[in-house]
Amino acid sequence: MSDVATATTALMDFRPYAHWIMLLPMIGFLLELLIGKYTWRKGGMFATLSILGSVIISYGCLYNVYVQHLGFWEYSWDWFYPGIVAGFTIDPLSLAMLCMVSFISFFIHFYAIGYMSHDCAKNVYFAETALFTGSMFGLVLSNNLLQLFIFWEMVGVCSYLLIGFWWHKPEAAAAGKKAWMSCAVGDCLFLLGIAMMYTIMVKQGITSEIISFNNIFQNLEHLSHETIFGMSALTIICILFMCGVLGKSAGFPLHVWIPDAMEGPTTVSALIHAATMVTAGVYLIARAFPIFLAAPNALMIVAFMGAFTALYASTLGLVVNDLKRIFAYSTISQLGYMIAILGCGAVLGVAAVAYALFHLVAHAFFKALLFLSSGSVLHGIGNVRDIKEMGGLLKGMPWTGYAMLAGALALIAFPFTAGYYSKDRIIEDAYIYATHGGDLGYLVWVFLVLGVILTATYTFRAWYLAMTGEPRSYPAIRPHECGFWMKTTLVVLSVFALGLGIMTGGGAKFWHFLEETFVHETHTATGVYPGLDLHEIGLLGGNSLMAHGAHPPQWVIYLPLLLMIAGLAIATTVYYKNRIDVSKYVKKDNPLYQILWNKYYLDYLFKDIIAEKIIMTVFTFWDVLDRYVIDGVVNLLSWITIQSGQVSRKLQTGVVQNYATAVIFGVSMLMILVIMFRGGL
Amino acid sequence: MVDYTALLPAGIVIVTAMIVLLTGLFIEQKKILGYITLVGLLTSLGLVLKDWNLTATFDSAPFYGAIVVDPFAQIFNAMFLIVGVLVAIAALKAYGDNPRQDEFYSMMLLATVGMMVVAMSKDLLALFIGFELASIATYAMAGFDKRDPKSIEAALKYFLIGGLSSSLMVFGISYIYGLTGSTNIDAIALAFGANPGLATTPAILLAMVMLIAGFGFKMAFVPFHMWAPDTYEGAPSIVSALLAAGSKKMGFAAAFRIFIVGLVAMKVDWYIAFMILAVLTMTVGNILAVMQTSIKRMLAYSSIAHAGYIAVVFVVVAYWNAPDSAVNLAVTGGLMHAFSHAIGKAAAFIAVAAIAYMILSKDKVDDPNHVSNYDGLAKRAPMTAFLFALLLCSLAGIPPLFGFTSKFVLFLSTIEAGLLGLAIICVLNSALSVYYYAKVVMRMYWGEPKGEAFVEPSTYVFVLAIAVIALIALFFAPGDLVYQWAETAAHAVTGV
Repeated sequence: MSDVATATTALMDFRPYAHWIMLLPMIGFLLELLIGKYTWRKGGMFATLSILGSVIISYGCLYNVYVQHLGFWEYSWDWFYPGIVAGFTIDPLSLAMLCMVSFISFFIHFYAIGYMSHDCAKNVYFAETALFTGSMFGLVLSNNLLQLFIFWEMVGVCSYLLIGFWWHKPEAAAAGKKAWMSCAVGDCLFLLGIAMMYTIMVKQGITSEIISFNNIFQNLEHLSHETIFGMSALTIICILFMCGVLGKSAGFPLHVWIPDAMEGPTTVSALIHAATMVTAGVYLIARAFPIFLAAPNALMIVAFMGAFTALYASTLGLVVNDLKRIFAYSTISQLGYMIAILGCGAVLGVAAVAYALFHLVAHAFFKALLFLSSGSVLHGIGNVRDIKEMGGLLKGMPWTGYAMLAGALALIAFPFTAGYYSKDRIIEDAYIYATHGGDLGYLVWVFLVLGVILTATYTFRAWYLAMTGEPRSYPAIRPHECGFWMKTTLVVLSVFALGLGIMTGGGAKFWHFLEETFVHETHTATGVYPGLDLHEIGLLGGNSLMAHGAHPPQWVIYLPLLLMIAGLAIATTVYYKNRIDVSKYVKKDNPLYQILWNKYYLDYLFKDIIAEKIIMTVFTFWDVLDRYVIDGVVNLLSWITIQSGQVSRKLQTGVVQNYATAVIFGVSMLMILVIMFRGGL
Repeated sequence: MVDYTALLPAGIVIVTAMIVLLTGLFIEQKKILGYITLVGLLTSLGLVLKDWNLTATFDSAPFYGAIVVDPFAQIFNAMFLIVGVLVAIAALKAYGDNPRQDEFYSMMLLATVGMMVVAMSKDLLALFIGFELASIATYAMAGFDKRDPKSIEAALKYFLIGGLSSSLMVFGISYIYGLTGSTNIDAIALAFGANPGLATTPAILLAMVMLIAGFGFKMAFVPFHMWAPDTYEGAPSIVSALLAAGSKKMGFAAAFRIFIVGLVAMKVDWYIAFMILAVLTMTVGNILAVMQTSIKRMLAYSSIAHAGYIAVVFVVVAYWNAPDSAVNLAVTGGLMHAFSHAIGKAAAFIAVAAIAYMILSKDKVDDPNHVSNYDGLAKRAPMTAFLFALLLCSLAGIPPLFGFTSKFVLFLSTIEAGLLGLAIICVLNSALSVYYYAKVVMRMYWGEPKGEAFVEPSTYVFVLAIAVIALIALFFAPGDLVYQWAETAAHAVTGV
């Protein structure tokens, strides 16, 4: 190790400063909120610069670990009760997230300097995004569940604030509320899972670092014997965690908030609802991966939910006409791919985490690019979002148009783009999972493969309709291209969306680095957590990990490529060449179209049936009960409280003789009580 | 040669008191005295913080083991000095033009020394002397606004009931001396060991109840609390801050030492006494606080309720089934809560002083402390209102403020000891208390402002800001500084 360290350029050890990655944006938040209004361009400077600081520290840490091999590192201190710690962890998993979040967030802030230039509450916007970014760093750096949960909620709060940033629009305010409510359902269950984990850890007699990830991993063997209601406690905990993940990472059926969240500024959609925040759920499963591995059946549920979400959301992407919502559905679908491959970890082991994270990073680049380029479109044609009112924009805004093309190609996994390396790997390995994982395993693979053809179709439907053909509305005739700040960002992100796969040797470098997570030791201030033997942990949950070196047959490798080309061909014939007229099918009286148009009636189910009928009925019942029974009791109690207050207030006469009497009375009564209690003198 | 440096903090405060008193006779421009006081208190506080973990005994002449410096004494010293600093800064504004301010500062310093002596004493006599020094100084301070009849009335009541309680206390001490042959707290504990029959004699029982009553007066346990609301209301607000935050904690310092160390053999007997007092005190305090229309009285009753929470420590310590870990946790929690309450309550009273000052400067009202004056305060004095709201949140035990942490640890100890019923009573009481704190916050933020905006006095805002920042910082403190300190101090007292 020392040879390597001396061979490479000596760079300072950034790891002890990891908490500044989180703190800098928080400071940026305060400065922006308090004095941002009076600075350069009325806000944005502090947020952007503080995140630049985070970028530097993040990449410094990456250099320490990846190039200098300084080892994984964790530090923590007791917080308000022994065993509840605050702490930070630096390992390939957190580094991958930190570098991605800081980089993307920095460029989105950079872009927002141009995009938000006309907004009057600019400093508030930047304060909120800085707070969001800082919370996300905190979430990623957390070495324990409680701290992670706190930041998880802070990220949720920021998301609520930013979706409703244009609160004067009723849709925006409603969308913020919807996001908050959907996530809250998942978060409550997630918190319950954390509480259960705390309980079973305490049961093992563990008194320090009770819910720290590494300590949980070390004790998985004992924990796997715990049961709740006859079921493995770990499985129940993992399912509860999964509920949190479905809320935050927009898994079926809690995904309903994402499309509405597009009411916020486009930069927010790019930052939160595509690139970074929604990946928190994926990150949670990756971070807690050994727990899922040791819990029987947990990963199967993860795989199935992920694959189903991937296919489900891509069918919805076919019919939506709002440019941003199309990309929103594609986000849900791509998150489904990531969650599905994590589920495949039951067979693949830590490699699944590496594949999921690589797709996560690649997706962050191309999805941020797609959103920012659609933001540029909105900016250029006066906030028109319906693709039916666009058309022919490529001529007026070539930078934006080609940037969006780059993003779209990466999204559909066109060869040699970032998405090609990340997504095809997931599908190939899902096949390997299927051959080891029983019949349900094939279903996962089939869902993911079908998703490919739909993704290609809906993505290019959007691109062709927006960029090619004739302008279909007045604003689309004279679009104006975006300015310096936005253009620069688009170019940088395009380079990464297209080239990330090639830069990382087809992803191999990234995977090798990530596969060291969990299996290598982690240093702490007081000792070392030894690396984990994931094969043994897998056996605890009945998962036998595959030894290295399985390859799927050739046709499996080429199938996604063929399907992608097929999907692209469909989109080209229908929406570019206009060879086939689909208006015959795209009609309200086509039942299939109607189901899709109504999003499988899920919103209807949630809002009209569950919220308004069932819950209202229950609430009406409760209301009656509350008004006449519980209120009665409460009123009685408060009456008693106030009456006793009145009575005792009368004792407070202000006459000092009475007070002295009370003292003597108190002494006597105490004496009598003590004697009674000891049973006489 | 004995090393007396451990006594330096107390010595510095005494010397400062003398300097302030003597210089005050000769100079006209007395404002400088406030700064001298501050320098003395801050130096002393710095020394205490530096040596927080120090243990030093003084067995030879002139102390003969009556004085000891240990983490337990130091944590209380720190509390008293912090409260002293807050009050002294506030006094710069409140009494900056008062010709008698030298008296105020010197009495405040002497009261602080008295409290510190109580925290450091291991002998009932030294303890009593410290207790009386602090009490007499605060009697005079309560009546400092001598043209205000309310202030005089407050001082008189405080003095009369204080005198009665002191006599009860001396009575108890004399019995204990008669029965055990010593006034040294360690020797008293040993006497119980040597003579097991001693703990069951009626005389020692009487002595114990007398001591509970004597200290219960300072700690404001129900039914020895009645002077407290009248005195806190009538006394100048910054004196109330000293009484509620400092002088009350002195009672706890004394009671912790005497009961947990000296009379531990009788814990079965004081278990029931403190159980009743704790439940009664917190419940009555909270219920009466709900009823109040004067902010100062509300804070007084809330302070009584908090005394009830801290009294839970004695119950847990005395509970025969409580494991050692719970006993330690209880004392730790009690010390932490005393700490958080000292900062929170002192600053809250100072906030009331600031608000009353502002209101009297613009509005024509009879009683500036009436709750209706707080309507819409957030618009008229945004900084003060915001800081006051945070202080109330800390008192209510709402994160992210230190009041939450301390209450959490304290209540947790009852659960760990297996006293689930007591824990439920505590939590219900705590929930009730949120009502009257929130009511004030709501009035400040949603009420209709009664006039135009105030010019906020910067000295007061500075004090409040220090307190709030301290409360937030201690919540997030790495390694939880106060927790460690309190835990070490708890070890020093419980010995387990």
